[in-house]
Amino acid sequence: MSRIDTSAPPEANPPVRRGPRRPQGPWDFVLDSVRMAWRWLTRMKTALIILAILGLETLLATVVPQQPNVATTVADWRSGAAGPGQVVSQVIDLFGGYDVYGSPLFLALLLLLFTSLTACLVPRTRAFWRAARRGRPPLSRNLDRQQHVATFTSALDVNTAHDRARTALRRQRYRMRPPDADDLDDGQVAAEKGIISREGGSLLFHLSFYVLLVGIVLGQLLGFNGQVGVVEGQGFTDTPQAYWTNNPGRWWGADDHSGFQLSLDQFNIDWVREVRFAGTPSLFEADVTVTGRDGSVRSETISPNVPMVVDGEKIHLLDWGYAPRVVIRDGGEVVFDGANTARLNDLGFYRTAIKAPGADPDIGLALGLYPWAPPGDDGQPLWTGAPWDDAPVLVVAAYRGDLRLDQVQDVTRLDTAGLEVVDTAYIRLGNEVELLDGITVEFPELQKWVGLQVSDRPTVPLLLLGAGLLLAGLVPALYAYRRRVWVRAVTDEHGATIVTVAGRAFQRSEAFLAGWGGLVESLRVALDGDDPVGDGGDPTAPGATPNDLFDPVPEPDGDDHDRDTTKVTT
Amino acid sequence: MTQVELAELSRFLFEPVAIGLLAAAMVAYLYAMSATRIPRPDGTVAAAGRRSEQAGFALATLGALTLGAHIVVRALAAGRMPLGNMFEFSTIIALTTVLVGLVVVVGRLDRADLMGFLLLGSVLTMAAALLVYTEPGPLQQVLGTAWRAIHVSAIVFAAGLFTVAFVFGALYLVRDTAETRLRGPGPVSGGSLGAAHAADLSGGEELDTVDGRLWPDAVVAGDLDGVEAEVVAEYRSRMRATIDPWRLAIGTFVGTAAVSWVFWVQGVRAGEAAFGSGFTRFLGINVVMALAAVLAWWAVPFLPAAATLDAMAYRTIAFAFPVWSFAVIAGAIWAEQSWGRYWGWDPKETSAFLTWVAYAGYLHARATRGMKGRNAGWLAIVAFGVLMFTYYGVNLVVSGLHSYAGTV
Repeated sequence: MSRIDTSAPPEANPPVRRGPRRPQGPWDFVLDSVRMAWRWLTRMKTALIILAILGLETLLATVVPQQPNVATTVADWRSGAAGPGQVVSQVIDLFGGYDVYGSPLFLALLLLLFTSLTACLVPRTRAFWRAARRGRPPLSRNLDRQQHVATFTSALDVNTAHDRARTALRRQRYRMRPPDADDLDDGQVAAEKGIISREGGSLLFHLSFYVLLVGIVLGQLLGFNGQVGVVEGQGFTDTPQAYWTNNPGRWWGADDHSGFQLSLDQFNIDWVREVRFAGTPSLFEADVTVTGRDGSVRSETISPNVPMVVDGEKIHLLDWGYAPRVVIRDGGEVVFDGANTARLNDLGFYRTAIKAPGADPDIGLALGLYPWAPPGDDGQPLWTGAPWDDAPVLVVAAYRGDLRLDQVQDVTRLDTAGLEVVDTAYIRLGNEVELLDGITVEFPELQKWVGLQVSDRPTVPLLLLGAGLLLAGLVPALYAYRRRVWVRAVTDEHGATIVTVAGRAFQRSEAFLAGWGGLVESLRVALDGDDPVGDGGDPTAPGATPNDLFDPVPEPDGDDHDRDTTKVTT
Repeated sequence: MTQVELAELSRFLFEPVAIGLLAAAMVAYLYAMSATRIPRPDGTVAAAGRRSEQAGFALATLGALTLGAHIVVRALAAGRMPLGNMFEFSTIIALTTVLVGLVVVVGRLDRADLMGFLLLGSVLTMAAALLVYTEPGPLQQVLGTAWRAIHVSAIVFAAGLFTVAFVFGALYLVRDTAETRLRGPGPVSGGSLGAAHAADLSGGEELDTVDGRLWPDAVVAGDLDGVEAEVVAEYRSRMRATIDPWRLAIGTFVGTAAVSWVFWVQGVRAGEAAFGSGFTRFLGINVVMALAAVLAWWAVPFLPAAATLDAMAYRTIAFAFPVWSFAVIAGAIWAEQSWGRYWGWDPKETSAFLTWVAYAGYLHARATRGMKGRNAGWLAIVAFGVLMFTYYGVNLVVSGLHSYAGTV
């Protein structure tokens, strides 16, 4: 650092270098880089850019199927069976596009955004706290130079006028500067409103994100959800093994399960049969009996929008299908008797498979159920796609060979790699058919099954709180407008009291302007005293009537570009 | 009347009656706007425009009433609240646009000159609704809950408000371009350090980016009475000359195509030929929007000042944003009740969130130095594009729990 001799003439000193200090060494360089990065990160513009990238990611997730939501579609896209083809698919995979919300990029962006938000909120919260506790409306040295000024006379003396003005403004919910903080020593009244609610609302809005984040993360860790299919007349017990899919949070233990027992008494489903709207479900509900942890037994009806709550766990009815009961005999001996769950596929029938390793060699059945296939004129079934079970027909393809059950398989599909087709046939409900190779298939009963979801989301109240805070903050953040008003009364040379009212709007100035006349009038009435002066003002005052407005100071534009509007309308 | 007759009546009330009335009102208002010459600072308008404006008001009121009647008849025909499919949503969006125009824009703000374009917005929304027309019918049982009514009505109302804001925002960009080019660029705005409201606390004087953008009309119109008609015509043509209508039309065509491709894809998915009716829809929507842009170009000398349009767009979005937030929250509550999870990144949830992010971005940009003005204006346009994609794109081409298209 060069020395500066303050007593020497300016030209004798070396020129002062302005601009950023150059880094002195490697440590300084790192420090400066970090400082610059921090400064960049905490900028509003950066936050907006991060938000935009996050938006693009989200857009990608809207268009591209997501692994956690529709795993089968993703598999189709990857194999090229659907979607834009394998090459594009590989590019998508490269960016983690099939699981955007679990991808490192998304999490990194979220982290950056929250860091940026925190860096922005900490000084704001500190400043807000200061302002809320000790902040007070500033005095105005020169009221005449404020945005809006009006003058009138009052019969009151100066002190009473100030007191009355204070009371009147306080009644209009203005925050007052304490009278003893009269630095200008002229007794003027300084008032402000909107600052606490506007900034406070904005802070509340942004702080609600932390509540939501905590709620979501804790919910992931502490929560649980599992899906299970239950056939009519059967049931399940709330244990980790019972679920088809089981997604416990990291902090969810097996002991946290309530252990209730549920049995499905009946599942009722019906549809609109009128041709124009045929197929729209009109009835969809499951009658269940649940034995809770404490042994209490409850029978309830679960329907969409009406889940059942057992020991804090919610049971939702999400899925359903038919479960045709099938009896297989191999050479007269029963090798299978049971109802497998069948799910509706794209082709309009319900598909499932039966695997009977008890036979020798193994028997496998691929089943397709058409719930409504009434006999046509030729006695053959009409393969309608209607979902109601008025004339169920089961299409059977029987296989023999090796079922390869040692491998992981889809329970509703037959792995035909080690099998050979024996025969195909269709069976009406209550009938049986004899197939080749000594196989008999009977279709004695058509049951239904429901897909239930059991979930425990302990942080839902916290999330509701976060959502409530968000809305509670948003409204004042957008709709509280910051205004300042000053009132100063002086005694002129004739002994009359002249009151000057000045106002300044930080947002929505045209709304303030519209209410300005009323505000001044209310003050004039409040300061009228017992001796009304009439409506005449003092002609020597800068503004003779309350509506005499002028605008000598450029208005700071908080949120609105309303200046020009104001100009045009005045 | 039978339900089929009621359905036919409701369709008749929608098209041609309501759509025709609103289109006629639009023409009347647009004529009124052009006939008011250049609006004077005191707000007076020429008599020729006045008459047409009154006709427009009557026609638009009648159109809104017919649309309301259509909704009631349709509700009777379906035997339920008409908030169940895209056609019904679009109807409510169009009605919201007309009502906001009549009650707020004309009634309270006295900005009849903007009503023509608002009606254009609602007529186009109704025309687009016919593309996704569904016979009135019953609803799935899962949709039968109070939260559905709350969620859907709030989200549709917010979408209507965003449509209004889009009209203002698009007109702002056109007008602002003309003003800026006619006068040369205004003061350059500064950097964007710190928070949106930081200036509120520090009491810092935030200098206006549009400061000094004096409304040229105010200067010209001050002594308009004495000005020759040729001068006015010259002013108008000079204002229009600042913008190349072809570029504007092509830009709008391309911009619209960024969203309207979903109609094309939907057509192809439904088994049509590659250049079948889906392609015609795609092309038609783009051309209509491009024509609307040319209309805005023609109207640029008659429009309110850019700053006014900007402020109106901002205030509309500031009102719609909390409504949208509430609607998304209500949707999450319904999802928790109905599907057993409050948020599942279903494509519709994702895109509703994206729309929220886009408009949140606009509101922040609007309060950030260096971003407010045209940058924020463009963000509002993009946000509306996102909204349209959320509405048409996700419903029509992305399959998810919210897919209502074509089915009831």
